[in-house]
Amino acid sequence: MERHHVVTAVESALAEVLERPVSGLTEDVRLFEDLHLDSTSVLEMLMALEDAIDISVDPESLDMDDFKSVGTLTDYVLSQQAPSGV
Amino acid sequence: MSGLSHTGEGPSAEGLSSTKDLKEALTGDRDARFVWLCNFEVENRWARGYTGLPAVRGSATAATVQRMEELGALLAEPGDHLLLDRPLDAHYRRYAERTGLGAPAELVTRAPAADGGTAAAVLDSPELLDRLRGLARDGARLMPMGASDREQRIAELTGLRPAVPDALTYERVNSKIYSRRATEELGLRTIPGFCCETAGELRHALEEGLREGGPVIVKDAYGVSGRGLVVLDSRKKADRLLRMVDRRVRRTGDDALHVVVEAFLPKRFDLNYQFTVDRHGRVRLDFVKEALTAGGVHLGHVMPADLTAAQRDELAVAAELLGKRLFADGFFGIVGVDALLGADGLVYPVLEINARLNMSSYQGRVTELFGRGDGAALAKHYPLRPAGPVGFPALTEALGPLAEPPRGRDGLVVTCFGTVNAQAPTPGGGEPPTPFDGRLYAVLFAADRAGLAALDRRVTTALSRFDTTERTP
Repeated sequence: MERHHVVTAVESALAEVLERPVSGLTEDVRLFEDLHLDSTSVLEMLMALEDAIDISVDPESLDMDDFKSVGTLTDYVLSQQAPSGV
Repeated sequence: MSGLSHTGEGPSAEGLSSTKDLKEALTGDRDARFVWLCNFEVENRWARGYTGLPAVRGSATAATVQRMEELGALLAEPGDHLLLDRPLDAHYRRYAERTGLGAPAELVTRAPAADGGTAAAVLDSPELLDRLRGLARDGARLMPMGASDREQRIAELTGLRPAVPDALTYERVNSKIYSRRATEELGLRTIPGFCCETAGELRHALEEGLREGGPVIVKDAYGVSGRGLVVLDSRKKADRLLRMVDRRVRRTGDDALHVVVEAFLPKRFDLNYQFTVDRHGRVRLDFVKEALTAGGVHLGHVMPADLTAAQRDELAVAAELLGKRLFADGFFGIVGVDALLGADGLVYPVLEINARLNMSSYQGRVTELFGRGDGAALAKHYPLRPAGPVGFPALTEALGPLAEPPRGRDGLVVTCFGTVNAQAPTPGGGEPPTPFDGRLYAVLFAADRAGLAALDRRVTTALSRFDTTERTP
């Protein structure tokens, strides 16, 4: 999957969880500080992300640091894809 | 909530009774000397053996939660000691003394706390353990927010007698599954829902819970604030969660899961009440407050709660029944209960039992000293977004006259300052400063709710200079 597709999927999952339109994010936008995602929404966000890009996410394989920014979360998703995508 | 009227003279800590009352309930001695350990992270320790919802490792707010131990500075009496993993800010300490509340002696660990919190840092501080042994010889008691094996170890190593029950009792009565079962067994009005101890039971509970259309909330038996819960308002979302849980069961071969599933009831507002169970099982209702929450995250408390006499009576009955039940199960001490006033006007007296010090427990002496009879108070935190660390003098300068202790007039008391800079990035090599999230905890006092709202707006405006939100994406 192309990186920009993952960013779009992250935007769509964020929009679902934050219940407002989210688009045009740059990768340095921070999920908690800038978008005001809260820690209670992390699980819901991962569930939405699974549906948006048809991948399996194991939350316990993520660290809160992966949620620092749009870019770090995109890195995580791409790293999960690598084994089957290559 | 008891309130003292003030004369023109400066208030002093000597006449305050709330912490003395607690000491008497826990030890039989109003003048007991306590060594306080406000170990907010203790809930993580209780949760260790109980699988909850799939969760990301780590916490975005761990540094802030760690600094919340400083809330204990205003709950402790000046003759007490407070264990900390770093000293109080010297300016804040002088402020605390100027309010008339005083501040306890600080006992600081050898190094700042890591994941194990201050309790683990105390255990790694030989000189501090020696100091505690000395205090134990003088009769001081260990007073943790809640006890786990770590606090018990401190007691064993130092001889400090705990003023609280043992770790296993704490763990047993702080499960949300315990809360639900006790509530049902006592015949109290219970939020419709289920206790689940396997993935299969979760599947069943979600099917039943969503049959009426939902939404339902799934909460870890040992969830801590802001984590371990998810609201599901559709079958689609429930299926997503079950898929994730089932994958984990296949991976680990273990279908254990400790959660409760409850109807997400429409509400007028959340409630928080506190009672104290003394060493003889007597129960005293301490206060009832309205709780301000958003998405399961605690934002603050307003007192008095806007309840009818009948609704208050119902909570008093619940407190008495719950207190007796907890005592029968081996517990004594402070108990905070989250409750709900439903949109239907009915009191649901138990969302969860927190048999430990609660956020509002820490406001005891502050509200006793500055609360005005039939006045109103609001305890909350102000989110800040400074571009760099904020000194206490800069904060008081921004607050201006509001920073003066509110003797007989509207005003606020800062109850925790360490959380303002807890998440400040470590200064790096010439990089531009990065704004970070801080929290300023305070209790506001006014004659009534309208006065509180006006004061709250003034404080928000005064603190806006520490908010860079509008300058970020």
